[in-house]
Amino acid sequence: MGIMEKYQITSAVIGILLGGSIFWLARRDHLHGRFAVWWLVTGFVCAALGIFPQFVDWVAAGLGISYPPILALVLGIGLLVLKIIIMDIERSKNEIKLQRLTQRLAILEGELLDQNKYLPD
Amino acid sequence: MDTSKTLIIIPVYNEAFAIPYVLNELAELSDIEVLVIDDASTDNSLAVCLSRGVKVLPLKLRLGAWSAIQTGLRYAQKHGYDCVVTMDGDGQHHSCEVPKLLKAANSNPSADVVIGECIERGSRLRHVAWRFFRKITGVGIEDITSGFRLYRKRAISLLAGNEATILDYQDIGILLMLRAAGMNIIETRVAMTPRINGKSHLFSSWHKVAYYMMISTVLSFCKYGKFTIRD
Repeated sequence: MGIMEKYQITSAVIGILLGGSIFWLARRDHLHGRFAVWWLVTGFVCAALGIFPQFVDWVAAGLGISYPPILALVLGIGLLVLKIIIMDIERSKNEIKLQRLTQRLAILEGELLDQNKYLPD
Repeated sequence: MDTSKTLIIIPVYNEAFAIPYVLNELAELSDIEVLVIDDASTDNSLAVCLSRGVKVLPLKLRLGAWSAIQTGLRYAQKHGYDCVVTMDGDGQHHSCEVPKLLKAANSNPSADVVIGECIERGSRLRHVAWRFFRKITGVGIEDITSGFRLYRKRAISLLAGNEATILDYQDIGILLMLRAAGMNIIETRVAMTPRINGKSHLFSSWHKVAYYMMISTVLSFCKYGKFTIRD
């Protein structure tokens, strides 16, 4: 077995493990909706690139990149940064919703206090 | 003095010791309603306020002073108040100064916000911070951190909205938002005294001071030049 084949087996195992784990999480409802879509695509790409790592070499050669693995790394890190930014935007939106809901609850509980119907914790 | 439809809002977090003094003082202003927002206190602030017979809105999660005030502004908007006065629950602000805010508002009908200004208070370091923020924000307000303010209907409606919920503090971000909306902000001199319990929740540790400075500086830089008042 040549060096290239060994490398290909290693990358295929890593890619399939990563893609398979994501698929398993989606099937178990740990990831759902649009989150599942993002991660299933990511899992599929990881598995595909793991099985056919030459694809990165072809694209890198086409783009004139002399060290192909760096292309996969830069794209991977770029997508991760994008994902984290989207997560923080989502978190900010959720925080606003939670704060406004808490405020609304306080206003309603204030009315219950007026009517002596307030239930303390 | 016209005090119709005016509400005094007091955000409270663990002020069981100081709040009775504040509420006792406010009892002198019999023609103005008082609303306390309990910011999920862990002491018996809520029970103390209820035993005094004031209206209380109990927050279930600690949201911070600004968000507690916004709860009161939303309440005021819902019940059609024309005017809201915000006061601290730690005894720094006094009921006898409330008429000064109302008088300033009455003699400036175009004013949307009246800030009770007392720049003598605070440490030397705090004055350096104020000067820094005045410079980088250009809001043209002397006392940018005063929590003793009067908001008229237009300002109440703006600050009760979603956009204001994202802000962390009542000071710089709020002033920038008011300026951006074209609100007329004036200041009037008031007297303030040190807190009854002696310590600030906002600046209780160096870590909190650093966090406040960082958040406020980033906010100021993001909005730099947008609302600068030029003579």
